[in-house]
Amino acid sequence: MYWNGGAERLFGYSSADALGNSIDSLIVPPGHVDDLGRYRREALTTGFSTFETARLRKDGSLIFTVVSNKAVYDAEGRAEFVLITQKDVTHLKVLRDAKLVESQYRDLLESTPDAIIMANQTGRIVLANSQAERLFGYERGELLGTLVEVLLPSRYRGGHVAHRSGYFGQPRTRSMGAGLELYGLRKDGSEFPVEISLSPLQTDGGTLVMSAIRDITYRKGIESALQEKNVELERANQAKDRFLASMSHELRTPLNGIIGFAEFLSDGKPGPLNDKQKEYLGDILNSGRHLLHLINDMLDLVKIQAGRVDLALERFSLSEAINEVCTGVHPLAVSKGIDINVTIENGIDFVTLDKPRFKQILFNLLSNALKFTDENGHVGIDVTTVEGGRFRLVVSDDGIGIRAEDIGRLFTEFEQLESGTSRRFGGTGLGLALTRKLVDLHGGEIGVESEFGEGSRFAVILPLAMKGIAT
Amino acid sequence: MIAARILIVDDNKTNLKLASDVLAFGGYEILNASDAESAQQIIETSRPDLILMDIGLPGMDGLTFTRLLKADEATRHIVIVALTASAMKGDDVRAREAGCDGYITKPIDTRTFPAAVAGYLPVRA
Repeated sequence: MYWNGGAERLFGYSSADALGNSIDSLIVPPGHVDDLGRYRREALTTGFSTFETARLRKDGSLIFTVVSNKAVYDAEGRAEFVLITQKDVTHLKVLRDAKLVESQYRDLLESTPDAIIMANQTGRIVLANSQAERLFGYERGELLGTLVEVLLPSRYRGGHVAHRSGYFGQPRTRSMGAGLELYGLRKDGSEFPVEISLSPLQTDGGTLVMSAIRDITYRKGIESALQEKNVELERANQAKDRFLASMSHELRTPLNGIIGFAEFLSDGKPGPLNDKQKEYLGDILNSGRHLLHLINDMLDLVKIQAGRVDLALERFSLSEAINEVCTGVHPLAVSKGIDINVTIENGIDFVTLDKPRFKQILFNLLSNALKFTDENGHVGIDVTTVEGGRFRLVVSDDGIGIRAEDIGRLFTEFEQLESGTSRRFGGTGLGLALTRKLVDLHGGEIGVESEFGEGSRFAVILPLAMKGIAT
Repeated sequence: MIAARILIVDDNKTNLKLASDVLAFGGYEILNASDAESAQQIIETSRPDLILMDIGLPGMDGLTFTRLLKADEATRHIVIVALTASAMKGDDVRAREAGCDGYITKPIDTRTFPAAVAGYLPVRA
């Protein structure tokens, strides 16, 4: 093989690089199908052949060339070798491709909001709609024939040429650089974040790549503003949790004195009391205990929200735990003349859960049921097995019930239904929110069915044996 | 029979008074201190049988004070019961690790408190 200076300039290989190599392995793009054999045979039989094709340069870029094969004969008229000349027609090809797509696509592409750039196999721009020209800060028609890399910050250019050549190997519609931060470069040198999607376009002149480019500066700005806002909110939320935790603690300390002394006095330890004194001390005690209960709920909720609650799992008798809770609410039930009817499906006995937390769940549901049920009403506790090694605990009542539109807010903190209810029944609206969180901690589910005026059924599904580190 | 002598260490005056009065009605001899320093003086002069120790004391905290007392030959035998402000998980463990013989959570229940304290008192021969 002989390799002249012109070949060196065109393809980038020196004569020393090229000699001894197969010309096809040097300059035919990988995956490129030309019937080279046919053109060479044609040259050998007729003395000449010519065709246009894409060729690979040493630096990885593609060019279009017109290839001429000319047979050179020896004295006896036998073909001695083939003289191959290649002429760089890249710019002509760009002009032809541009003309082709202009007539077919220009009007269509001018009407889309996105910036559209089309490039041919050599990476040269054959069409840029006016949105693209505006986006990158170029004059009308100025981008035609330039390499698409001119639109990229220089640090991405080398890599892009390789990606682009690879794309023509397997052209398909996809977004570019998925998961990467991509930037565009304006003519004035400024950069901006972009999102690019690529699709191949088959034309009579070969495959083109169409890129739709979107400036995402605004979106990025919103994203980072949102991110900052989130961090801020998280911080404020933590401050709120700390505040509530320390407030709860501070509020309980003086309550110890109030409850303790009232209890001590009403028990008549320091001396006898008359009936009125006893009654009033009872009122102080009840109010104090109620306040303590609310503060404890709040502290619990804060601790759970801050992820500072670990379950202490233990094996215990479900019926015993239910009895203990029933005993706790017995005075309230008796005072309203309400029967609590407990049924436990045969075979359910021992469970492994955090016992105090389980009792807290049942206590909250049960005291709600009692609170919202009129005198001489009925409250029931039903336990049944559920598939998947779980059980369902239903606390039902025939009390005032819940309006359908209120059910959604039921398990949200500080949402007590209608202000009138709050005044009539007391409470902060923390109980059910806390209950739901406790159920969540056990990997369970909680739900409610209710008809206004007919009563409510709160159902909790919990695992029979919770897996975890028993403490 | 000589009444058991109980030292209560708590910086909250109301809580201190409540615990003192409730136990005094239970027939115990009660000593009061509001911090580790004054408690140390009382221990040296009066030799209590049991100390009710608030954990969150100003200055030297109750657990550190407990460790000191349990490390000292002269005071090691005194039963120390921690008073923890809330039933915080881990507080019981920390109290035991510091050398406390038991713990009672605040708020105290005036009806069960004297019996709970009695349960920790050494049986006298």
